[in-house]
Amino acid sequence: MNQAAKSSPGKILIVDDEPDMLEMLDMIITDKTNHRVITTNNPLEVGELLAKDNYNLVITDLKMPVMDGMDVIAEVKSRDPDIPVVVITAFGTIESAEEAVRRGAYDFITKPFRKEQILVTIERALDWQRLVRENRELKRSMKNSRG
Amino acid sequence: MGVLDWFRRKNRAAAEVGMAVFQRKYESFKRLLDANNDTLELMARLEAVAEGDFIFDMQFIRSRSQAILQKVGTIVEELNILGDNRYQALVDLYESLREKITQEIAAPVDTEIVPLVMPLSQVDRRHLHQVGGKNANLGELKNRLHVPTPEGFVITNAAFRLIIDENHLTERIRTFLDGLNLDNLEALSSQSRELQEAIRQAAIPPALQEEVAKHYQALAETLGYQPTLALRSSGIYEDQEYSFAGLFLTRLNVPFADFCTAYLEVLASQFNRRALVYLCQKRLVHREQAMSVGCLAMVPAVASGVLFTADPMGQRQGVMLVDAAWGLGPAVVDGTVTPDRFVLSKKPPIVLLEKHIHDKPVLLQGTKARGGLATVAVAPDQRRQPALTPEQLLTLGRYGLRLEEYFGEPLDIEFAVDPQGRLLIMQARPLLVESPSSEARLPAAVGEQEHVLIDGGMVACFGVAAGPVYLIQRDEDLAGFPEGAILVARHTSARYGMVLHKARGMVIDIGSATSHLAILAREFKVPAVVDTGVATTVLQPGQMITVDATHMRVYAGEVHALLEQAHKRTPSPIVASPMYAKLRRVMRWITPLNLVDPKLSDLTPENCKTLHDITRFAHQLGIKEMFDLAEKASQRDDIHSVKLKTSIPFNLHIIDLGGGIEASRRAKFVPPEAITSIPMRALWQGISHPDISWAGPIPIDMKGLYSVVSRSLTASTDHSDFWSRTFAIISYNYLNYSSRLGYHFATIDAYVSDIRNDNYITFRFKGGAADEVRRGRRVRFLGAVLEKLDFEVEVTGDLVVGRLWKYPRELMEEKLDMLGRLMGCARQRDMLMADDAIVDWYTEAFLAGNYRFEGSPQDTAGSPNQPPLP
Repeated sequence: MNQAAKSSPGKILIVDDEPDMLEMLDMIITDKTNHRVITTNNPLEVGELLAKDNYNLVITDLKMPVMDGMDVIAEVKSRDPDIPVVVITAFGTIESAEEAVRRGAYDFITKPFRKEQILVTIERALDWQRLVRENRELKRSMKNSRG
Repeated sequence: MGVLDWFRRKNRAAAEVGMAVFQRKYESFKRLLDANNDTLELMARLEAVAEGDFIFDMQFIRSRSQAILQKVGTIVEELNILGDNRYQALVDLYESLREKITQEIAAPVDTEIVPLVMPLSQVDRRHLHQVGGKNANLGELKNRLHVPTPEGFVITNAAFRLIIDENHLTERIRTFLDGLNLDNLEALSSQSRELQEAIRQAAIPPALQEEVAKHYQALAETLGYQPTLALRSSGIYEDQEYSFAGLFLTRLNVPFADFCTAYLEVLASQFNRRALVYLCQKRLVHREQAMSVGCLAMVPAVASGVLFTADPMGQRQGVMLVDAAWGLGPAVVDGTVTPDRFVLSKKPPIVLLEKHIHDKPVLLQGTKARGGLATVAVAPDQRRQPALTPEQLLTLGRYGLRLEEYFGEPLDIEFAVDPQGRLLIMQARPLLVESPSSEARLPAAVGEQEHVLIDGGMVACFGVAAGPVYLIQRDEDLAGFPEGAILVARHTSARYGMVLHKARGMVIDIGSATSHLAILAREFKVPAVVDTGVATTVLQPGQMITVDATHMRVYAGEVHALLEQAHKRTPSPIVASPMYAKLRRVMRWITPLNLVDPKLSDLTPENCKTLHDITRFAHQLGIKEMFDLAEKASQRDDIHSVKLKTSIPFNLHIIDLGGGIEASRRAKFVPPEAITSIPMRALWQGISHPDISWAGPIPIDMKGLYSVVSRSLTASTDHSDFWSRTFAIISYNYLNYSSRLGYHFATIDAYVSDIRNDNYITFRFKGGAADEVRRGRRVRFLGAVLEKLDFEVEVTGDLVVGRLWKYPRELMEEKLDMLGRLMGCARQRDMLMADDAIVDWYTEAFLAGNYRFEGSPQDTAGSPNQPPLP
């Protein structure tokens, strides 16, 4: 992946029921990268937000009332399987984090974590999405050229 | 099991004696060490997280502080087992810290169960989420600290929510806050005005009106008259992590008939333009906004003012500052008059260090007719009189100290003096104290060619910044404030706070470092100089300047040397986020260490203010308890001990508490190889070093011998009584060794394991025969050697104490080995130290491994002048 592609801005949706947590993530990401960040503390809004806009990445807390991170994964994957989902979990809940990955999450990150850790995970997830999309595009064009 | 539960089961240890109690206390000691180690590790991790590199949530703060509380609870409990409940004071302190921390990390209570109105007499910090910071603190002062405060009642957040809900404003407020845009101040102003108007026009539900009337009636009955009220805002976040200094409305001298209007005005002030800007600047808009209002019986103050329990600029240590003027309080904080300034020493007994009395031509007072306030002239003979008497100042100082200790941080305290001369505390909130870095104190690194425009004034916030001058003459000028400009104005108006997020620096003609604007400048870390006298006349709009607030100078143009220096010190922005602010508030009860005297003279429960202090105290006292216990045990006949089989003339009794001697070798006599105790084995290695001569008489000079008049000196090669007072109480990791070493008493208390934080050695050496001068020489010899071996050494008379902590196991073993050799060499060494110069020679010789002290200057001197024995 070349540097230009790496720094191309993505659009990130962050879901967490704790507003202060959203604020901190927003602060870090916008301070250190040129990605756009949209946040919500209401997971029920996720479907609506995904329908309205194109996102490159969803970061969600795992444990939330009403609708948890697993539901968010299902919601995202049902709309666009190419959007990577990074799950944030509390320390000591590795099992559910692994379960989240089985259900399609791209990766998980355990609280508390270092700023760099989330930034690196974001870049990797965005790279992954680019690769998946490029692959799909390539396959499609090969198929077309054969057809 | 909590510490208190444990204390209910009393009389446990006191009556028991012998091995059983010894063993149980030793187990306690080990648990204390374990908990101590875990606590220090947890604290270190918390401090690392607080530095600004981590992202965490409230759950993290809760779980970590609870884990630390639990460990410290164990430490306190075990120390009391060791000390037979002699550390009850520590239990009380622990409980009070636990309560404070628990309050900080408590989740808000559901609105439904919160009453609409509460009497102030029932409010304290536990109601923080219902009554806001200001009211919660005031209630705490009144009901827990019993400091004189006005009477009154509190209208909770629940009442605010009820009004907003019933008037269908909830959604409107949410939408309004979501759409806030700092870039368009004019639009924000008109939206703010509309929303405030809507709140002022809101209907107060009858249920709330009834509740308020009921509480007002009760207040009037308590006082015996119908008071006018002071209505003070108390936001949820106000006076906690965020000052909101001067942003919300306070209404004074309100007759009850006008209550509703005044109450709604205060509620509306939550959405005034300045407050909204502050919310955005502090990234708090996403949080729920609610306001509680304190309704206090109006105090017709004859004088009032502010007490800062520390110098907010961090420049003067150990002082408290008092600003006071005649009449009601706003005159002081709004800068209407220049108040008298008093400086009090902080160390008891509090004394008045300085007073600066100013001309106070006007005062603010309540008017009798229909409430309201009026500014009136001060009687000519009063204008230059101090606003406070020396007695009032001292009383105020004492309150200040008490409150600061109770709240665990420096405070900004508002007070009033009632017509009877009684001092009342009106509110107390955290005071942000600047701590200029050590670099900042250095002289400014500026070349002589730089053109100084302003030199002087008062620092309001340390730092360096450059930008174009933006002159504010009227409030309307604020709307056009450009990003990155330097704010220049005549006064320290708190209104300017609303552009501080855009300002790089600030230079003001008149004002003080204690004003609201100065508080805001520190909160926003905007380098600021106030009281320059000339800023608005010297500085031209648009002119590029560099403000070096630290050194109170303004330069023409950009001074790159200064800016680069300052850039290196910029902290991560995330530390200013609400979550970090919360963490810091919780940590103030946990991590600061006040017991820092290496001589341990401050080691008392009264000096413990935090969990860290308790931990340090308990660790030190735990070691002492264990030491005393081991000493007592060695003198008992009923405790079973084994003896060491060795050719060294050593009648060493060993009490094994477990794991100290090979289980298969338990017999009345055991060989040294059977020792499995880590510290004992290491010590034995030193004692039995081939170059250390324990057997046979050592060379002596006869003066020395003469001074040892009452005992036989010759140690025979068999196990004689002479050495019989040497005991070692051991376990796998522990050693308490006490020995009559010749005529001297030496003890070693040590714990050595793979966990370096647990490890320690305490070596004591006392007494001896010979005369005082000679004993002194030996002590100096021991002290010098111990210091070279990295011990912390304390010498008092003929007692030398060496301490060593937290070295890794291998090094601890090495040190114990050296102590073994040292004890061997030191036995009766004073008798050879005929003069002072010889002490250094022996020290060097020992460290060089010359344990037989061959080539001693005294060898050549021989021993010709032997006095006759009596």
